[in-house]
Amino acid sequence: MRDIMHLVGVYTKTTARSWFQYRVDALLRSLAVFLRESTGVIVIYFTLLKFDNLNGWNIHELLFLYSLLFLTYGIMIIFFTGLRDFGRMVRSGNFDRFILRPRGLLFQLIFANADWFAAVGHGGLGLVLFVISAGKVGVIWNFKTVVYYLFAIMGGVLIQGAVFLFLATLNIYLFETSSLKELFYYNMRKFAGYPISIFHRAVQIIIIYIMPFAFVNYFPAQYLLRKEDMEGYPQIFLYLTPVVGVGMYLLAYLFWKFSIKYYKSSGN
Amino acid sequence: MIKLAPYLAYAKKCFLGRSAYRFDHLMNILSTCLQIFIFWGIYHALYGENTEVDGITLPMVATNFVLSMGLGAVFSTNDYFFPDKIHDGSIATELLRPISVPGRMIAENAGNALFNLIFRFTPALVLSILIIGISAPAGVGMFILFLISVLLGYGVLWAISFSVQMTAFWFVNVWSITTIKNVFINVLSGSMIPLWFMPGWMKGVLYLTPFSSIYFTPVQIYLGQLTYQEIALKCAVQGMWIILIYLAGDFLWKKGQKKLVVQGG
Repeated sequence: MRDIMHLVGVYTKTTARSWFQYRVDALLRSLAVFLRESTGVIVIYFTLLKFDNLNGWNIHELLFLYSLLFLTYGIMIIFFTGLRDFGRMVRSGNFDRFILRPRGLLFQLIFANADWFAAVGHGGLGLVLFVISAGKVGVIWNFKTVVYYLFAIMGGVLIQGAVFLFLATLNIYLFETSSLKELFYYNMRKFAGYPISIFHRAVQIIIIYIMPFAFVNYFPAQYLLRKEDMEGYPQIFLYLTPVVGVGMYLLAYLFWKFSIKYYKSSGN
Repeated sequence: MIKLAPYLAYAKKCFLGRSAYRFDHLMNILSTCLQIFIFWGIYHALYGENTEVDGITLPMVATNFVLSMGLGAVFSTNDYFFPDKIHDGSIATELLRPISVPGRMIAENAGNALFNLIFRFTPALVLSILIIGISAPAGVGMFILFLISVLLGYGVLWAISFSVQMTAFWFVNVWSITTIKNVFINVLSGSMIPLWFMPGWMKGVLYLTPFSSIYFTPVQIYLGQLTYQEIALKCAVQGMWIILIYLAGDFLWKKGQKKLVVQGG
C-alpha cells in the first residue's frame, strides 16, 4: 500500500513537471482553456441581463449549475487523461509498454498522466463560479448540505470517469472512437449547462438515462436549490448521484476487465 | 494577370480530400444542429408567453441562430495553415513556389467552404427548418444583398484568422492565441447571443470591433431590418475591416519572412 502511494506521488510529480515545463506557455494554455470554457457562461450572463430568468433560474443559480459541471470535469481529468487518450496510445502501440510493467494497467492509465491545463482551466472556472454563486443562491451551508455536496461531486466525477473508461474500452474492439466521444460526451455536455427542463422530452431522456449528465449537475443543484421545474421528475433522483456514479463505474470497470483479455497490439 | 489554375487545383484537392471522411461529416452536421437546438431551446424558454421582446420575435431569433451557426459551419478558415508550415519548416518550400502562399490558403479554404456549404450547411438548414422553422428572406433583392454581405463577412473572418496566424513567426505556441481569438468571435459575433439583446454599452463597444460584421450584418439584411442606405454603409464597414485587418496581417507576413530562419534540410 505504501509502495502504491509512493508510486502515485512520483507519477504526479513527474506529470506536473512535464506539463509545467514551460511556465509562461503553461499559464497561457490554462488561461485559453479557462476562457474557452467560459464562453457559455459569458453568453448566459449577457443573455440574463436582458431576460432576468431562464425557466425560473436566475443568473446565480445558473452559474451554480455550471460550476458543478466544471468542478467535476476538472477533478475527473486529473485521473482520467490516460483514458481520454487511450485510443491514441493503442494506435501508436505505446500502450504495450504498460503491459510489461509490474503494476495494474488501469492503475497506470489513471496515474501516469494528467492533463493539468484542462484540470486548471476547467477546475479553476468551476471554483470561480462556485465562489461567485454559492453565497447567493440561498443554500444554507451546514453539515448536511456540505456532505451532500461532496458526495455529489464524487458521484459526478465517477459518472464522467465511467464514460471515459467505457469509451476507452471500446478502443479494444473499434479502431476509432473519438467521434463517438464527441457525440455522446462533449455534445451532450453542452445541454447540461442549462436546466434540462427547457429542452425537448427526447433530450431529457438522453441526458437522464443514456448519458446521465443530469445526475452530474442538474439533480444535485435541484436538491440544494429546489426550483419549481423539479416537479417534472421523481424526487428520488435528487439522491441518486453517488449511486449512479458508483454503479456506472463498476459496470465500466467490469467491461474493461472482460475486454482487456482480448487486447491485440497494433504496434510492432 | 495572375494565373488562377493552380489555385483552383488546390481548392479542388481540398474539396475532394474532405469527401473521404464520411462518418466525420455526419458528426459535424449533428454537432451544428445540436448547437442550434440548444440555443433555440434556451430562447424558447426565455420568451415563454411573449411573442416579441424589443420588437424581436422568436422566429427572428431562430433565424439568427440558424444562419449564423450555419454560416459558422461553412466559413472554414484553417487557423493552423501558417503555424504548421512555419513550425515544420515547410514554409521554405512554399515560398519557393511561383504562387502566393496566402493565395493558396484562400484557395484551400474556399474548397473547404464549398464542401461545407453543400454537405454541412444544407443538411443542417433543412433539419432546422423542419424542426424549428426560420423566417423567409425579406425579398429577392434583400436576399441577393444578403449573399454579398455573407461573402464580405467571410472575408472579415478570414482576414482575422490570417493576421492572427502571422504571430506564429514570433510565438511557438499559437494554440492559446487562436483559442482566445475564437472566444471573442463566438461571444461577440452574435452566433451565440443575438446582438439585439446585448446591453447598450456593449453595442457601443461592438461598433468599434469587426465581430458584428461577420454574421450579424448578413442576418440583419436577410431579415429586412436595414434600409438600402444602411446596407450600403454596413457593407462598406465590412469592406473596411477586411482591408484594415488584411493589411495588418500582410505587414506581419512581410516582416516575418525577413525574420524567418528555417533549420535543418
